[in-house]
Amino acid sequence: LAGPPSPPGQDPHGWRVPVDCVRANELCAAEPSCSSRYRTLRQCLAGRDRNTMLANKECQAALEVLQESPLYDCRCKRGMKKELQCLQIYWSIHLGLTEGEEFYEASPYEPVTSRLSDIFRLASIFSGMDPATNSKSNHCLDAAKACNLNDNCKRLRSGYISTCSREISATEPCSRRKCHKALRQFFDRVPSEYTYRLLFCSCKDQACAERRRQTIVPSCSYEDKEKPNCLDLRNTCRTDHLCRSRLADFHTNCQASFQSLTSCPGDNYQACLGSYAGLIGFDMTPNYVDASPTSITISPWCSCKGSGNMEEECEKFLRDFTENPCLRNAIQAFGNGTDVNLAP
Amino acid sequence: AAAFGLYFPRKEYSENVYIDQPAGTPLLRIHALRDSHGEVAHFHLCQNLIISRARSHENHWFQIREKTGLLYLSKSLNREDFNMLSVGNWMPLSKVMLYVFLSSHPFQEKECDSATRTTVFLSLMNATAPACSSLTARQLCFTEMDLSFHIKENKPPGTFHQLQLPSVHHLCQNLSISYKLLAAEGMPFRYNENTTGVSVTQRLDREERERYELIAKCTVREGFREMQVEVPFLVNVLDEDDSPPFLPNGTDTADAVVEFNRKEGTVLATLTVYDADTTPIYPLESSRKKYTGTIITDDPWISETFRVEHIFDEIHFSPNGSQVRGTQHEYKLVLNKSISVTEHRSFQLDVLVNDTEFHGPERSVMLHFNVSILPVSIQFPNMTYQFTVNRNAERFAQIGKICIENCMKFRGVNISYKLLSPNVSCYPVSILQGREGKWGSLYVNDSSVLHRPECKEIQYTIQATDKQSRKHTKTLLTVVLEGTLLKKEEDCPDSCAVSKHRAECEECGGLGVLTGRCQWRQGSGKGITTNYSTCTPSIKTCPDGTCDVIESKDPAVCPQDCTSGNIIGGHGKGTGNLGIKSGHGICYCFPRQNCYCEKDDIKEQLCDEMCKTVI
Repeated sequence: LAGPPSPPGQDPHGWRVPVDCVRANELCAAEPSCSSRYRTLRQCLAGRDRNTMLANKECQAALEVLQESPLYDCRCKRGMKKELQCLQIYWSIHLGLTEGEEFYEASPYEPVTSRLSDIFRLASIFSGMDPATNSKSNHCLDAAKACNLNDNCKRLRSGYISTCSREISATEPCSRRKCHKALRQFFDRVPSEYTYRLLFCSCKDQACAERRRQTIVPSCSYEDKEKPNCLDLRNTCRTDHLCRSRLADFHTNCQASFQSLTSCPGDNYQACLGSYAGLIGFDMTPNYVDASPTSITISPWCSCKGSGNMEEECEKFLRDFTENPCLRNAIQAFGNGTDVNLAP
Repeated sequence: AAAFGLYFPRKEYSENVYIDQPAGTPLLRIHALRDSHGEVAHFHLCQNLIISRARSHENHWFQIREKTGLLYLSKSLNREDFNMLSVGNWMPLSKVMLYVFLSSHPFQEKECDSATRTTVFLSLMNATAPACSSLTARQLCFTEMDLSFHIKENKPPGTFHQLQLPSVHHLCQNLSISYKLLAAEGMPFRYNENTTGVSVTQRLDREERERYELIAKCTVREGFREMQVEVPFLVNVLDEDDSPPFLPNGTDTADAVVEFNRKEGTVLATLTVYDADTTPIYPLESSRKKYTGTIITDDPWISETFRVEHIFDEIHFSPNGSQVRGTQHEYKLVLNKSISVTEHRSFQLDVLVNDTEFHGPERSVMLHFNVSILPVSIQFPNMTYQFTVNRNAERFAQIGKICIENCMKFRGVNISYKLLSPNVSCYPVSILQGREGKWGSLYVNDSSVLHRPECKEIQYTIQATDKQSRKHTKTLLTVVLEGTLLKKEEDCPDSCAVSKHRAECEECGGLGVLTGRCQWRQGSGKGITTNYSTCTPSIKTCPDGTCDVIESKDPAVCPQDCTSGNIIGGHGKGTGNLGIKSGHGICYCFPRQNCYCEKDDIKEQLCDEMCKTVI
């Protein structure tokens, strides 16, 4: 879902709009000085931390040249062609520079400029009704119906459901890898007016909340025999470029902030919900922990047991899911069909 | 453990910086705690400002006092500086990050690669410093960051925080801001009103208590107005390895018996060791290396045949009411390879558990496993086998199971069964190996033999052989043919599963039937159920949810358990995508093609008594 078109080279905040990393890489490759510095920097970063790297004259020089090149500010788009390649280029520069041990990492994705209200407008066109109607209706059931009436949504939804519920053997209830892949396809290729309605529908009873919890087929995509430690899980996620990027995006867009009315960065609910949905189908897949209709608790499949001296850090990480006012407000606002009205 | 040296009681500090604040403005105060008496802290800034998204700038604005840890503005930050530092920051708020390093001696080179560092986040505010009157009490008293600290256990006391905010104190000198530390009675912390410093007054012990929750209270007075704010003030005690391993209830011995289960990977026995220290499960391998379990033996056979597996888990102790975390280590004695059925020996196996990071005499405990490896005999139960087979049985009819003594308890023992051919021409049955090499399944291989009148009672010898030791045993099997031959119905399919109605099912035979006729299973008829109606050669074996070795010989025998094709209608698939686990109404199959599950609305009693009389 594209936002309103912005003037070329400018985003609404007046910053330079970054070029995507695949394109930036092409631009750099066409220029001999840039491409040789890029190669040098990649060699500098391989296996060394920021400080050792900065101590080296040649590396320092390469960095200075690259700071002026489009590679330095490049970003990627969710679901773009060659997304993985784009992210590989992004992290090849940023991994060594951001230490790789920071608690929060900056998102490699472009900022989301569209708003929840855009989705509501579209949703009410195709469903022919106001999203916040009838208090008796089961919104999660309505969402499933709406999806089934759309060929693309129906096909990809039944695709992931059948993949995720196919039993392989008595000890292996499903292929988690294939299930995750099918879920990623669903959330990448189906417009968010369908996927968000399924994920964030509001509920008044347990049956509805259970349906909401079951949306991603948690027995296969979420639950596991053992609950790993959250920091361990984060580590696993960070070894994968896609998972790392989606997690960084979640932290950028859903990190609770005291400086806004909604607790969300820039009061942008859409951006937070989008990066939440972007985590589904990776090691850090989040879900509703129970079928409580009103008190919403979200968590990835991990706990802080066995954290040793890192318990504080682990709990801080987990709280960004379980006790995050921005995420909770965003989910509730979507369920209620309310968005913040911001003066432009 | 390696000497910790000096350390920071916080991982992160934060403060706001405004445009055109004068040089010399104090920003925040950083503290260090000591590892041993007499250490003196020296603070130092890394001369790089790190801005979100990895752009870095040389630091021209911020400096730290090497002795006191006071971070201050050394040069006013004007609008041009602000704009330069904001480029690349695309979030509405601009933040710069800098590292503060710590050393016990004056810094020689201004290097920034010491391991001991803390991070300072400075939020660049796109405005000049606000008037004191416009700030809330919360903003005047505390920063946005939680007041949360960590203090290492067993270290000397010292000051670790200053409640007063140096920037606010500098900016709003006409305000009276005072602090108090609540809920501190009986706790090892002291608040100094003159300096607003908070110190820890004694060495802490994490195994006594690992978390202190206090409240910092701030009072702001301006003329007659008074405002108060309270925020939580938390102290976590960091652990070091200062407790030796111990045995719960003193148990250091366990019996480990190897009998029927001889498979590689079998857990024979488990012994538990406790430790009051925490053990991070992350990273897992390094924690395993710190707490080792080694088999003490000179015997190469023992070290090849057994291994010790170590798992650990967090548990809680309650030394004096408050809960503290500790570790439960489990050492499992595991078979490293499958053991031959002939092996017979007993011995004690010792495992040395070593808490490698604990510095004391009791750093290790010895665990003892009393291992007995018993031989198992390969023999048939005393009786000979006798099975009766109906002359109308069809090919792949399952006659019975052949099993040596205790065969169902075996794991890691592979027995093969074989029929030694009799000296007669009547040879209707064969044997197939069941799953996991435990039993043999006897089935009809040649149904034409059953029809021959001269074949009545056939004697076989069965031989069972253990694959590994080649030990074998024999017994006699008698197959008695009984019943009279029925006339075969015309137009019957060769698979029972094709029949959709009870009547046509029960009047036909098919592959795998025992008595010449298929059997009808009447389901419960409610929704999609595992108990669906279907026609089968034998209700005992089909459908039972597993595609066994005989059923898998021919897809016509039991497609309900074995089909891998399409199933049309309401259904659930079986394990490994094979067979129909549950179905709606009646399920029937055309072998090698589709299966169908559907509710049958046509009543079977099409022709009632009335109709029959008319005909």
